[in-house]
Amino acid sequence: MTDMRMVIKGIGVVGAFGSGIDALATAIVDGIRPPLSTAEVITKEGTGRLSVYRARTEGLEEFFAKRELRRIDHYAKMALLAASLALKDAKVSGQRQGTTGIIVATGYGPHRTTFGFLDTFVKEGNNFASPTLFASSVHNAAAAYAAILFGERGPSLTVSQLEMSVSSALLTAWCWLAEGRVDSVLFGAVDEYSDVLGYCWKRYFGVQETSQAEMRPLDFERQSAIPGEGSVFFLLRRNENQGRYGCIRGVDMGFADCGRIDLPETDLLFLGADGMRETGRLYPPHLSGKNNFLCHAPTYGSLPIGPAFDIAIAAHEIGDGAYLETNAEALPEKTIGCLKIGRQGEFSLVMLARE
Amino acid sequence: MGGSRVAITGLGCVCALGPDVPTCAEALFLGRKDRVAPVRFEDSYSPTSPVFQVASPLPAPSRWLKHGVSRTNSLALAAVREALADGGLTSSPGSLRVGVCMGTTVGSALNSTRFYRGYLDRKEPDMSPVSRFLSNNPALFIAREYAFSGPCQTVVNACSSGTDALGIGASWIAAGICDVVVAGGADELSRVTYEGFASLMVTDDEMCKPFDRNRKGLNLGEGAAALLLESEYSWRMRRKPPRGFVVGYGAACDAYHLTAPSPDGQGLRQAIAYALETSKKASAEISFVNAHGTATLDNDRVEAITLHEMLPGVPFLSTKGHTGHALGAAGAIEAVMTMICLEKGRIPASAGFSVADPQLPANPNASTKEIVGSCALSESLAFGGHNSVIVIEHSND
Repeated sequence: MTDMRMVIKGIGVVGAFGSGIDALATAIVDGIRPPLSTAEVITKEGTGRLSVYRARTEGLEEFFAKRELRRIDHYAKMALLAASLALKDAKVSGQRQGTTGIIVATGYGPHRTTFGFLDTFVKEGNNFASPTLFASSVHNAAAAYAAILFGERGPSLTVSQLEMSVSSALLTAWCWLAEGRVDSVLFGAVDEYSDVLGYCWKRYFGVQETSQAEMRPLDFERQSAIPGEGSVFFLLRRNENQGRYGCIRGVDMGFADCGRIDLPETDLLFLGADGMRETGRLYPPHLSGKNNFLCHAPTYGSLPIGPAFDIAIAAHEIGDGAYLETNAEALPEKTIGCLKIGRQGEFSLVMLARE
Repeated sequence: MGGSRVAITGLGCVCALGPDVPTCAEALFLGRKDRVAPVRFEDSYSPTSPVFQVASPLPAPSRWLKHGVSRTNSLALAAVREALADGGLTSSPGSLRVGVCMGTTVGSALNSTRFYRGYLDRKEPDMSPVSRFLSNNPALFIAREYAFSGPCQTVVNACSSGTDALGIGASWIAAGICDVVVAGGADELSRVTYEGFASLMVTDDEMCKPFDRNRKGLNLGEGAAALLLESEYSWRMRRKPPRGFVVGYGAACDAYHLTAPSPDGQGLRQAIAYALETSKKASAEISFVNAHGTATLDNDRVEAITLHEMLPGVPFLSTKGHTGHALGAAGAIEAVMTMICLEKGRIPASAGFSVADPQLPANPNASTKEIVGSCALSESLAFGGHNSVIVIEHSND
């Protein structure tokens, strides 16, 4: 476990539940399952339907002029909205003091735009490739747009480590803060849904009937995942008094098939199980009676950057308290761990605490 | 990495220059050969711009992967295997915590044209390209191959990915997160990136000419490079003397444009300044600069102006005339070239340069030149306006 202390000064979230940390907290507290969208999946047999947690970005116009967003795709818009909400939540606006780094974690990158770019030369021919789509299809496009629109000239990093993207990127965020390279890190995560992803989903898992779609991630042996999309951003700082949301105190990464994961005593453990049978069945051998665990994927869906939502929920609980199926007495030390196990047995554990 | 020196104890490289570091080191000083062989694109396709392809056979992993190994990861494996052998870390690292930090672009992109054509045609395409993508994350692939237990990070900062992976790996060691980091970059030639750069009209139909008056654009390349980065505790415990050190790393954004560098080079200036600051080196201590030097009009202009103003009189060169632009691997390959030049005490001519550009205030190195000192910069400029610079020092021990 790498010990660290990163104070969470602000949180911005975008998902099917809506926009903003309050919308996410309300969905958790009230047990509201966000409305599912229905996507069409076209196969040689015909058109099927797939339930999807889709995110909307209308709120972005509160922060940017329409012309500034003209060529920006859905992937980057989700990131920009979450980043703007995090800065607003941290009460940071206008000219910022010190150096801010931008770090973005993503499992699959802007693949909707990537396939849009492929369309331009696969369908139209070699001379019709779109330079605009190509430029936006690179994985670091969201970080680049954030730097341009926020006017941030500090270092930038985009990490693509599948389900471990968030935890891995947090390690570097900590390094940047610890070595004084930056004063703040605008740290985020984003993944999107696309028609191609829906098609792959159908080929790998079949399609759940829309009327029956329900994620049951704690039923570890059952495939119940529903694809999701969204973005989460945090404004992280190092040497400050505790913020509204407490601190990220440690990140551990390793392989779950190299022995039992050494889970520390925490008040609560959020499992990153998201209805994927392939990874869900990897969790039970590592759990014991000492861990009270919960799973929030049914609020945001199945997507590689799911752990970022868990960290946001944990930070909100540590800060403002009282929600979930628990109560204040159940969190004496105010420590929450967020555990994620990936497809190849890799795992990460992110620890949050009040101080 | 805040002023600490992170040791380089092993090097590995595969690129158009050759299949390993000694071969690349020799070829680097022999002048440029033509690199116009057809590429291994997924579709049958004849590109018009030359590319720099790796011709040598690539190693297979020790474990079986159901969906196969991507070419990017085969390239990465060749470089990492050589770096580990060079660093004497071929057996189990025991109690050492070894992390992996690899830069790439194509290696993390779900963009198979073969699969996508089948999808568009509703022919229920073979899902292997998608499964291969899901099981071929570069950093995770290397960690699994060698049973390294430390953190994995695949950096996707476009063309600065390789340089950033080295800087981040050094930071992990300086912060005590790892004892050893296998850091570098890998990228294969891909029709998708080829079409993308062609659509931006920044490729040259002839061999690229970095910093030359007649430069027209880049040639794509492929390859991989890996550096074994190590803490002082680790290399002393292993009794493995370093070949050199990563002593500084700076990165900064232009915050200007998605594909064009800031005309005043603001982000690059900031990155160079921070790299020098963290290395505690004065500009007079820099022996040479291995520039990004893609041979595009904008990149070379901004770099030449910035280097002339920030490091006046310091020789610079581009090695992309030897390797092509290997995108996410470029920064790592160029770091290895930088280390090679420091060890040899000389730099080669900047390949492809022959006619000075009167619009540029400085010209690259035009012939093999002895260098003075033991420190050099290697820099990368990327889509998104990101600029990254590392400072490498030759070990005088």
